[in-house]
Parts: sequence; structure tokens; C-alpha cells
Amino acid sequence: MVARRRRAAVALLALLAWPAAPVSAQTLTVDTAGSTLKIRAPGFSFLKGDPLARLKDGRSVRVELAALVMATPGKSPAAATRRIFALSYDLWEERFAVTTVGGRSQSVSHLAASAAEAWCVEQLIIPLSALSALGRDAPFWVRLEYRILDGDGASDPADSGYSLQALIDALSRRRKAEPSPNALEAGPFRLPAR
Amino acid sequence: MTAAHTPDCAIFLKDNNFNMGSVLALAAGMRTIGLLVTLLAMAPQAIPDQKAPAAEGTAIASAQVTGFDIDRLSPGLREAIRNLAGTALNQQRLDELAARIEAERPRHVAAVRSVMDPDGQARVFFVVGRQDQPDRDDNINSRYIVEQADITGVPDADVSQALRDDLRGLVGRRLDSGEAEKLQQRIERELPRYDVSRRIQRGDEVGRIKLLYEARRKEPPPWLRFEPLRSNLVYHSDQGWGGYWDFNIEANRTIRFIPTFALANSEDSVEEYSGAGLRFETRKLGTRRLGASLEWTWFDQDWRSPTLDALPLSPDIPRAYDTRTTITPLLKFAFTPDVSIAAGVSISELEALPPAIESQMANAAVASVEFDRQWKQGSDSTHRAVASFGVRAGSRSLESDLAYTRYLGQGSYRFDFDRHHLQATGMAGGITGHAPLFERFALGDSLTLRGWDKYDISPAGGDRVAYSSLEYRYTGLALFVDIGSVWDANGERKVRVSTGFGFHGGPAFLVVGFPLNTDNLTAVLAMGLRIPGIGPRW
Repeated sequence: MVARRRRAAVALLALLAWPAAPVSAQTLTVDTAGSTLKIRAPGFSFLKGDPLARLKDGRSVRVELAALVMATPGKSPAAATRRIFALSYDLWEERFAVTTVGGRSQSVSHLAASAAEAWCVEQLIIPLSALSALGRDAPFWVRLEYRILDGDGASDPADSGYSLQALIDALSRRRKAEPSPNALEAGPFRLPAR
Repeated sequence: MTAAHTPDCAIFLKDNNFNMGSVLALAAGMRTIGLLVTLLAMAPQAIPDQKAPAAEGTAIASAQVTGFDIDRLSPGLREAIRNLAGTALNQQRLDELAARIEAERPRHVAAVRSVMDPDGQARVFFVVGRQDQPDRDDNINSRYIVEQADITGVPDADVSQALRDDLRGLVGRRLDSGEAEKLQQRIERELPRYDVSRRIQRGDEVGRIKLLYEARRKEPPPWLRFEPLRSNLVYHSDQGWGGYWDFNIEANRTIRFIPTFALANSEDSVEEYSGAGLRFETRKLGTRRLGASLEWTWFDQDWRSPTLDALPLSPDIPRAYDTRTTITPLLKFAFTPDVSIAAGVSISELEALPPAIESQMANAAVASVEFDRQWKQGSDSTHRAVASFGVRAGSRSLESDLAYTRYLGQGSYRFDFDRHHLQATGMAGGITGHAPLFERFALGDSLTLRGWDKYDISPAGGDRVAYSSLEYRYTGLALFVDIGSVWDANGERKVRVSTGFGFHGGPAFLVVGFPLNTDNLTAVLAMGLRIPGIGPRW
């Protein structure tokens, strides 16, 4: 009995030592504009850490943003849109500039970091017709993801064993070089009655 | 009007009083004569008849944008342009406004022209053209002129003159991110012993920038290796589930902390233990030849019945214990990057298993020599050879209740060629004296003598061991043959052989082993996860 208790204590200790999942205070809202679904996520930030340092060093950073609409959280999306943005930081104006990459090109400049992020999210437009598979009045969930497509500072894992990320990558069979998505998911939402 | 037919665009622009600063910037920004032609072709349509250029300080009658809908500019910029009316002409101010137009519309370029009206007032035109280059620079800073391009952190003698010339060639031109990137790659090729990073910063003059390459000499690889990590979660069809986790927390390249947890783990010996521990390692103590480690572990034992049943039959084997607490400080020294030695002590307190009450100390001096070398042959084949020999000597002089000496030699060779992998391993060891159970040898788990169960072969372990294994893998499919024996010096020695196959995918594995030289041909399954180490890296 004592041994069992000790084992339980060890298991509990191991669980506590596992890195805690980050707590997020980000919010995500959706709205319809004409025949499209627009997403807003004021706290959804991707200009931070290494990419931000790279931008402040006068270099550009490409970010891929995706918006996925799902009937159930975690399931395959019923509709999705994905765009790539090239961001740079004007060293003299101290403001960010964004250009969409591929497709119909759009640009904006003289933005603060949060405004640049918000502008990118605003470009993720999903046609309402693409949501028809969900059914009328059916609840849906929206997931925002971003990936930094190019950046400096990838460390060499050669002599440091596996990291937790490497384990996740290995289990998911993801290529090492492929950056992991950072996501924000919210729901359920419903389309307003038409 | 001859603009569209003028062969020399610069002369045309100058003759028509385009500000030369803007013109140069414009030319660099456009990079294509096509755009210049487009802009020039547009200019005569947008701007009225040729007028005399307005002089600095002339009162501005009006200011307008041509070739672009002014309403697509920001309200602030629109207002700034309209507010020019009634002010004195200041060319620098006009250039700044043109630059702001370009900034707001990165796919466009803007030039300023001012003309003198007959009434002595100036009219200002911002001529805007679209820049339709597929290879345009997405970096907003590409509109600034590079005033300095330099490389730091490397002796001048190490940088070729050609590279310096090319760096100088960037000065005075607008930033081209693609060219800057290519130059960085060239620097990296030319200076393979350096890490090179690129940084752009403000220049000394407004609107100018500095392009700086920073070279930092690569830190030579450490000679000492960290202890191998061995996290696993294993199911063995005879022994059940067990797990061991070591979390790799690296402070930097030379220092790390390893919290460890074990739950019903029986992979290393006849013990089945649960508990926790912490290991600190540094592989650089002033010099990369010297390192140290300190490990503390506390393990609670859950002995298997075959082990407890076997102990009374072997009175020479020290008794089983309830818990084992061990502290192991070690010093390591590397002779070469491939050869190192380690020495220290292992202090273990073995708390008695009831009804006994007195704990025992098993304190030993430990020493080992290791060889680890990896080398490449051709582009796709790699060899790795690892060998070690270790001695652990429990001694009364270390206040140990158990006096013993344990020797163990191990070696492995691995050859990887594309998807083919061949691995041969072997070990041999012996114990003299009265070694505690955790020091006794065991074979027959998910790693050794696969197909046999250690609690059938030697439930209390043995004081002699000899083992070898040969495994071939093609991608994830493995075939193996294991042969080995674990026995007591004064007992019977029996060599056991097993073979089998396995599947390996990332950290997951499944192995089926068959004991060969036995009448009881029962397959043994082992599966689970085996990960060299998990945890955050700081």
C-alpha cells in the first residue's frame, strides 16, 4: 500500500513537472460583412520574439496566417483561408509595413505592431457560401493559426537530445525544419439569421 | 512635348526640373527603365505645358497628385500635401512628402515637380507611377540609401578584397534585400569558422541606413559529452509496464539540469523501482577538457516474487532493500574529443525492507574510460563506435557496509548507409565480493536478450555477464539476433540465444523476440516509446 502511495506521488510529481500549457487571454470574434465572414482577434499577436527582433534589425519576415472554420473543435475544417504576408519595420519611421504575397497584392504601411497584426487578420476573409456545409444555425468554431515562414536563429539540436518540440514533431511526423503553428481557437459562433 | 521620345531619361527629368534627389531615388527604386518610361509618358499628360522651374522659397499656389487617386493616401498625408498651398517652396519638404507617398504605397514610386506660373507662384505636382516588378523587395527599408556596408568581428586579413569591394558596391544604392542575403551567404562560405548575422540600422543621415554583417567565431564543439538521456515508456509482455523520464533542461551548451522520474522501471537491473532524482552536469570547468556532474536519486523498490524467492537460495547476495538513495559526484576529463575518463564516488543508502530495520551503505569509488567517435564515409554513410570500461569498488574505507568490485566493458558499432542500418553491441562484466542488488547484472528485457525474461533467467541477477547482439534495420523494420549469458561465478553458466523482428517509427517501437535454445518457444513482445531525452531547452 505504501509503495502504491509512493508511486502515485511520483506520478503526480512527474505530471507537475511537465511544462504547463500557456494560459491565453486572447479573444476572437467573427462578423459578417456582405457575403463574407470577417474575423477579428485583437490579442492575436505574432510580432514577438525572434521575428520581432529580426524586423527591428531592418529585415523582413514572412508570416502565413490561416483561418479555419470547423463544425466541432479540433476537427477538420469545413472552410479555410490562408494568406502569406511580408512584414518589415521602417527603421526611420518606426512603423510596420505589410504586403500580401501572391494573389491580389495589397500593401499598407505606417502601422503600429498591433495594427499590422490586425490588418493581416482582417485580410482573412471567408465567403459565407463556403460555410453552407455547416448547415443553417449550426454552431461553428474558428481557429486562427500563424507560422513564421522565414527567420533566423534556428538552434542546432544535434548534441542536445530531443526537446519537447522534437518529440511532438517526431510523433506527428512533422519535418524538423517546418515551424509549428501558433493558434487561437474560439467558438461556438452562429451566423445571424438571414 | 518630347518626353516619350527622349533617349536619356535623366536629362529629360533634369531639363524638366524634377528634383535630382528624387530622380536618383526614383531610378534606384524603379530599377527598370520600363517604369521610368511609363512615368515619363504619364508626366506630359498630367502636367500642363512646360513652365520655368520654381525657385526655392517661391509661394506655392497649389499642390496635387497625378497618376494616382489622392483619396487612397492617408488623411494625414492628403492634408500635408494640400497644406502646401500658400507656403514657401521647400524642396526638402517636397521630397519628404514624396517619400511618404512611396511608404504608404510601396508598389508605387513618386517624384516631385514644381513649375512657375506666369503670376510668379509655383504649382507642385507629385507624379506617382506603379511599380509592377515581380521581384520587388518586400522590405520597406529598401527605399533607403545604404550609406555604409561593413563586416565586423573578423580580422581584415580574413576577408578577401573581392568581398570588401562588393560590400563597398552596396554603398550609395538603395537596399536590395536579395543582394544583401546573397552577400551574407558568400560571407558564410568565405568564413566557415564564423557565424554571420545581418543587421540594418539607421544611418547618420536621415533616410539613410547602414548594412552591417556581424561575424562571430563559432564556439568549438565541447570535448565532453553529456550523459546519454534515456526516457522510455515500455510494455514488456512478461514484465508489464514501466517508465523512466529524464527532462533535459539546458541552461546553455555546457550546463544542464536533468530532473528524472521513474515509475515501475525495470529496464536496467532486477530492481523494479519508482522515484525521482536530479542531475546537474557541466562539460566545461574552465577548460573544455574538464567537466563534472552531481546526481541525486531516490528510488522505492517493488521487488518481484521470483527475486525475493531466489534470495534465500543465494546467501552470498546482500538482502533486498526498501528504498535506495544515491548521491554520485563525478569529475570528467577529456584527453581528446573522443576519449575521456570519469572518476568519483557513489554513495548509496539502502533502507531495510521490513522486518529488518537497519539500513546499509553501499559506497563505491567509480571510474570509467570512454571512447566515442563518429565519422562519415562518402556522402550518405556514417560510422559510430562507442566503447567504455568502468569499475565500481565498494570499500570499507568509504564506510560502505558492502565491499565489492564491479567491472563492466561495453562496446557498440553502428553503420548507417542511406536506409540501411547495422548495429553490433557487446558487453562483458564481472563482480567480486558482495555487491548490492542494483549492481548485479541482468539480461532479458526490451533491450537485451530480447525474447527472454530476466526474472526467468536470473531473478536475482548474476555476478558475471557476457552479451552480444547484431541488428539490421531497413528504414523502420528490424531483424536481430541476441546471444548472452548471465550467471554466478560459482553457479551454472548457460548461453541463451534469441532472435526476432521489430518496427521502429520515431520514438515508438515494437519488438517481438523468440527464445531459441529452449523447449518453451514463447514469443515475448515489447513495445513503447524510447526517447533520448525530453524537456524544455533554455
